[in-house]
Parts: sequence; C-alpha cells; structure tokens
Amino acid sequence: MTELAFLLSLTILAMLLLAGALAARRARLWRVGRAAKIDWAAGLLALPRRYLVDVHHIVGRDPYAARMHALAAGGLLGASALALLGVIPLLGGSRLFWWLTALAFAFAFAGGAMVGRRRLPVKPARLSGGRFQLLPFLLAAYTGGGFLVALDTALGGALYPLGWLGLACAVLGGLGLACQIERGPMRHAFAGAAHLVAHPRPGRFGGERATGLAPLDLDAPRLGAATIEDFAFNRLIGFDACIQCGRCEVACPAFAAGQPLNPKRLIQDLAASLQPGATNAAYAGSPYPNARPVAGIGGPGLPIVGAGAMIHPDTLWSCTTCRACVEECPMMIEHVDAILDLRRFQTLELGAVPARAAAPLMELRYADEPGGRALTSRTDFAAGLTLPLISAKGEAQVLLWLGEGAYDLRYGRTLRALITLLQKAKVDFAVLGEEERDCGDLARRLGDEATFQRLARANIETLSRYRFSRILTADPHALHALRNEYRDFGGAYEVVHHTAFLDELAAAGRLDLGALDAPRITYHDPCYLGRYNGEVDAPRRLLDRLGIERREMERSGKRSMCCGGGGGAPVSDIEGERRIPDIRMAQASATGAGIVAVACPQCSAMLEGVTGERPAVHDIAELVLMAVEKAGTTPARPAEALV
Amino acid sequence: MKIAVLLSAGRHPVSGRPAPVPVELQAIRLAVEIGRQFGGDVTGLHAGPELGPLTDALGHGLARLVHLHNEGESDPAPSLAAALAEGAYDLILAGRAGQGGEDSGLLPYTLARTLGLPIIADAAALALGEAPGTLGVEQALARGARRRLLVRLPALVTVHPAAPAPLPFAFAAARRGSSEARPGRHAPAPSPTVEERPYRPRPKLIAKAAAGSTALERLRAATEAASGGGRLLVDPAPEEAAREILAHLRALGLVTAR
Ligand code: SF4
Ligand code: SF4
Repeated sequence: MTELAFLLSLTILAMLLLAGALAARRARLWRVGRAAKIDWAAGLLALPRRYLVDVHHIVGRDPYAARMHALAAGGLLGASALALLGVIPLLGGSRLFWWLTALAFAFAFAGGAMVGRRRLPVKPARLSGGRFQLLPFLLAAYTGGGFLVALDTALGGALYPLGWLGLACAVLGGLGLACQIERGPMRHAFAGAAHLVAHPRPGRFGGERATGLAPLDLDAPRLGAATIEDFAFNRLIGFDACIQCGRCEVACPAFAAGQPLNPKRLIQDLAASLQPGATNAAYAGSPYPNARPVAGIGGPGLPIVGAGAMIHPDTLWSCTTCRACVEECPMMIEHVDAILDLRRFQTLELGAVPARAAAPLMELRYADEPGGRALTSRTDFAAGLTLPLISAKGEAQVLLWLGEGAYDLRYGRTLRALITLLQKAKVDFAVLGEEERDCGDLARRLGDEATFQRLARANIETLSRYRFSRILTADPHALHALRNEYRDFGGAYEVVHHTAFLDELAAAGRLDLGALDAPRITYHDPCYLGRYNGEVDAPRRLLDRLGIERREMERSGKRSMCCGGGGGAPVSDIEGERRIPDIRMAQASATGAGIVAVACPQCSAMLEGVTGERPAVHDIAELVLMAVEKAGTTPARPAEALV
Repeated sequence: MKIAVLLSAGRHPVSGRPAPVPVELQAIRLAVEIGRQFGGDVTGLHAGPELGPLTDALGHGLARLVHLHNEGESDPAPSLAAALAEGAYDLILAGRAGQGGEDSGLLPYTLARTLGLPIIADAAALALGEAPGTLGVEQALARGARRRLLVRLPALVTVHPAAPAPLPFAFAAARRGSSEARPGRHAPAPSPTVEERPYRPRPKLIAKAAAGSTALERLRAATEAASGGGRLLVDPAPEEAAREILAHLRALGLVTAR
C-alpha cells in the first residue's frame, strides 16, 4: 500500500466522521416531532427489500435516472468502502484489490458524469439548483481523484504526480460531499434510509395501497399540525428525505394549472421549518406558481401556515388530494398526509377554511348533505324507475350507495343507466334512500375531521341495521371512504365499484353486450379508484368488451392525472392560470378519441364543464347500457317495408 | 363595551334538525368585530329548555355563552329581559327573525319595550360612531338599498341576512368554549299551541299589471312584488290608517271579515 492510498483511506475516514457528526446533528432535530409507534425491527429487516424493490420500482420509471443512481450511489459506496478497507494490510497490499477499487471509482465517476450531463449545460426546470448544482463537480472531484489514487496504487506508484493531484481532488470533493449531508443533496441518503425503516405507512411495502387517512383523536389538546413539532417524528424524517428530484412537481395538477402549489417546494418548506431560525431562502427549485407572498420564516414553535410564516394558506387549499405526488416520489414521501394535517389545524382550530368552503361544511353539520338538500330528494333522479328501499326489504344482495352525484342532473343520467343495468341483470339490490347521509369525504379532505367522524359513525350505525353482502357505488370517493376509512370506526364492508361490478356481470354472461360503433375511446382513471384503490384493470376490461378501440392518454392508470375535482378543490376554488379539467381534456383530445369514458361523479362534472370542441364525456355505465340496448334490438326492418 | 347576542333555538330549513340560526351567527360576527374595535366583550344569551347545537356558536367566534334555563314551553322574553337588565349591556344584537320556531321576529321588539331601549332593525353593518357612546348602523332596506343611522347606546339592533357571512366554524373553539347555565324566569308561553314545521320560504305576492300596460310596467309589477297592492297614504289620521290596514289584511284573507 502506498502512502497515497493510506491518505485516501484517511480521507474517507474523515468524510465518514464528518458526515456522521452532521447527520447526527440533523437527526437530533427530528426529536421535536410527536412520538409514533414504529416496529423498528421489522423496518430494519425490511430495509434492503424496501430499497431494492419498492424504491427502485419508482426510480426505474426514469431509466436514465435509475442507471445514474445505480452507478453513482453504488459506485460511491462500493469504492469508498473498498478504499477504506485498504488499511487492512492483507488487502491493501494486493495490487488486484486496488484494481478493483479503481474500477469501483470509475463506475462512480461515470454515475457522476451522468448527474452532470443531466444538469449541464441546461438544468431541467424540475431539478433544483443551488447546492444541487454543485453535486456533479463534487462527485467528479471525489470519484475522479479516488480513481487516480487507486490506479496509482495498483500500478505501484507509477503515476506519482498524478496520484497526488488525485488525492487533492478526492480530499476536496469528498469533504465537500460530506458537508452536503445536513442540508444538501446528500441528506436524502441517510434520511431516506431512516424513512424507509420508520415509514408511516409500512403497508405500502407489503403490496397494500395503504391510502386511507389516519383518524384524528378529537380529544387531543391540539388538532392537526400548526408547527413542525405537531408532526410525528417519522414524518419529519420523510420531509428530510426529499432529494428535490421534482417528479412530484411534474405530476401535480395544481402546479400544472398555475395554482400556488408545488409539492416539492411544500416538502422543502416543511423540512426547512425544522431548523431553528429557519428561512425558505436556500430553496433553489421551481417556486409555487403565482406564489402568494409569505414572510418565509419559521422554525420549531413557529406557525407553518400563514402570510407571516412559510406556507400560504392558498397553497394548502390548492391540493386536490390526488396523490399523484405520492405515487411518483422515489423517497416514498407522504405529501397528502402532511397537507391534511396542516388543513386539519386550519379548519378545526382556526376555522380558517376558504370562503366558499364554509357553507357546505355548515350544511353537512346540520343537514348531513353539503348542498343543504333534503336527504329524501337524493332518489329524485330515479323518478320513473323502481328503486327498492332496503328499509322495506330488510336485506339485499347488493346495497347501492348513491352518493352526492345523485343530486347532480348530469350524473343522475349515469345512475339511471346503472340502475337499469342492475335490473336487466336481475341483481338483487336496494338503496338506503333518505337514510343515506353524505359519506364525509368532502368534510375530511377539507380538514373537518369532526364532521367526517360524526357522519361515518352515523352511516355505520345505519348500515348495521341491514343485511347485505356488498356495497356497490359509482362514486370512488364514497368507495374509498366506505372501504378504507370507515374501518377505523368499526365499519368493515366489501365495497365494489360499478365498473368492477358491471365487468363481473358481463363476464358471468348476465349482460348481453352488443358492439358499439362509436369512435375511439379513452378512459380517464379517477384518482380515488386508480391510485387510491389500485383498480385500473376492471374498467378497461369492461370497455374492451364494448368493441370500441381504446387508446391510452399520456398519463393513465395509477399514474393518471387528476380532473381537479377531488379534495374539496372545486369549493376551495383557488385561482390559477388554467383549469385542471381543461389540461386533462387536452390530453384526452390528443389521443384522437371521440369519447372520454369516466367512472366518477366528480370527473364527470369537471370534464363536462370543459367548453369548446372536445370529445364527449360518458360514464362507463352509460356506455355499457348503450351496448346492452344495441344487443337487445332486433335488426330494424328496411324502411320500405313500413310504407 | 358589553355586547349581548340573542340566540334562538333554530331549525335547519331543510332537515328540520335543531341548528343555530345563520343570521344570529352573522350577528355574532358583527358583535365580535365591533367588540374588537371598542375593546368590548361579547356574550351569547339563550333562554329555553336546552342549548342543543347552540353551543356551536362558540365555534363561530363567540367567547361566552349564557344559558337561561327554562323548563319546557316558556316565554323566553322575561328571562332575557331580566338577564339583559342585570348585565347592563351597551349593545344587544338579535337576528331579524328566528328560524323554525315561531319566527315572528317580535321578540326583539318586546324586549326593547320592556327595557326601554331604542331598537333598530335590519343592520347589515356596524361601525363606531364619531361621538363617544354612539354606534353607526347600516340598515338594509328593500332591493339592496342601504340607510346609515347613528344611534346612542345602549340600543337593541336586529341583524339582516345581508350582513357579512358568519365566521367559519372552528370545532376546537366550540369544544374549548364553555357555557354557563343560570335559572331563567318561568313565564307561560304566549301561545302554547303553535305548530312547528320546517321553514320554507314564502311565496312572493306578485302584483299584476293592468292589461295593455307597457313591458316596463309589467316588469316593474312583477319585480316590485312587495310593494304591490296597497295605497299610499301620507300622514293619515290614525283611525283612517287602521281602517286601511285592516281592509288590506282582509283582502289578503289574513283577517276574517266580520
Ligand atoms: S418530494 Fe419526492 S418526488 Fe418530490 S422532489 Fe422530493 S423526492 Fe422528489
Ligand atoms: S396530491 Fe395532487 S394536487 Fe396535491 S400536491 Fe400532490 S400532486 Fe399536487
């Protein structure tokens, strides 16, 4: 082992110590968070799998980034570990060993070069600048330097002057990298690993969708999150894990519409709030579009939301809770949970809901219906159809949950189609009628957990009085609440969406489907069905039975884009530059389809609201009914015969 | 400055469930905002058998709620009058009418008479008067008209639905706030046989324009419904006015002709 190699090992040791000390300093800040129940042993055991399988599944969606990361991170860790082990005489004495080390450094250098090529000469908008722009240079210096030293050692000191140059570069680059561990790009490495171990939704790694919101204890001294201490400490780890890759920003519909929300910036504002005397000045990524002015100061003990703090309330209320950001985040950060915690404080403690959201919440409190409409008129849309009431029958195979869409004239047509189909297929079904209250989705997404819990309990009480084997609904928001969120209050139901149910009926031959000679069709996945519940196949299978050519939009399935109708966004109505449904409709038009198939009352309302030349909007139930009617008709007699 | 807001046991107009009356929640907002300028404190007063969801008023910005407990059917006026006299309030706010009870809107007048206070109806906004001890009231008149009045306090003011919307509900504030129960004065209810039913807006009486009138006249007749059907008397003798009113009520079928 040469002197140089020994010095390289020492450098790495120094890097380790420096990085360790800085990481420990940062990790101490996490302790301000609330306690959380974490299965540490299981988390630690699962770490390699969570990293290699789950994280890489997401990273791999961008193959360039995946190769870049594998080379840079793998090379960096491998080469550094090898070079450090070089102090062991048995290894350090072996030329072969140093050849191996040089190879590892070469890999890391290649990864660093890919980092550079991605950012230089022009940095893509979604990536952050500042300390992040320094990263390729630090990587190049450290790995290039390390490579020279290792090569020099492998050759027995033959590169003497170059080796010293290499060492100088490695020292500069290496210590520079270590300095990035506390607030720079390298923080994601240790915070990310800790986040994977202590993840607040471990079910996500076990194949569950794990998307239900955690219930709030309404007797807690403070409801929701006002300051950074109000988040559980593993949430704080999550904020620190952000690598500012901007994938969430690209996916965010509110960002695309020019509303003042950027999930990446939001996470950065939260991570910055952890530092005493925090400001948002260090952030060097894209801003909140049309950002409302804020003071940009914060820290433990200080409010997070407000014009005098870090995050403007409009930012919070722009979110449609579509979870696109969560779906895209390679660090598995839970943006929506954070937004909801902040909203809960605004709503429950301050009553600071957006102006137009106060009225529906009030109506929900005293009439169980956000429009203040009579529960008896929920079934008005079905005038002329026979709609069996479960209170009259006592039990039914299928309980049809009508949801808020029932009050909407346009969506009433969809529900009529669904009911007609159920009757044609001789399904034993019934509705709750006036006993059906709002499911509470709107209240919950607007942060009004008190109203949600009251409605959930009342609905569970009603449901407990009847016997049915499944709940069928055409509303994915109701489906999500009933299937995933009522469980915490003692209501466990098998809930099926109408697309899955109709697909079942068609598969069992209970619906006779003719072929539609409609133009091409494209399917818009509702967030609460696709992303929240993973149901992306049944609706497509069903559509394919109709014999229409189906095209996929630029974003589809679990990575689909929101219509702008979720999370109370339509009532919050935060101003932007464009409307989210217009953007989505443009994507639909781009497929050349004549029909956008939808499967949710919100999507239907939002997309029907798009003006101008555009594809027609039809719920899948309407299309299936058309196909059934097609099959039912006998071929028309020729016109002459009628004369 | 001490402000009292009278809260009645309302019902939701559609669901028929007990609920605070929106215009009274608007009164709380006016009270809270004027109280902030004057440095005053705001008390909510309810007389009746139970508070029910009126405790939600604590979530709409009200700091203190006093429940004058009456058993069963009882006239709330004497309890309220006694509590108001005892509290020596500078300003008493009430909704222009309750919702779901008798909703006659007469209680504030009864109280003003008992307490010997001036009463101003239908405030849409309140402001500080220039002279100390006065209050500027913006009164909502028909068809969006406004009138500014200046009143010397103490006074009783009823609030119009055109006032700013209530402060949004904050669950935690309602949970933290507490109400104080005091015994009310029992008095027999004035009309124990009222029928209770959910509120519904009353149909407008639309005056008919004479046949052959111009489009403008027909439009005016259709839109100026409330003013239709009467005769304008300027400074009539009391007997003549009474006769005229009775004749009008009879014509509407509200008083049986004798
Ligand atoms: S939150 Fe996740 S997706 Fe968004 S920038 Fe950070 S790491 Fe990337
Ligand atoms: S949930 Fe959707 S709208 Fe909200 S921040 Fe994430 S991507 Fe944006």
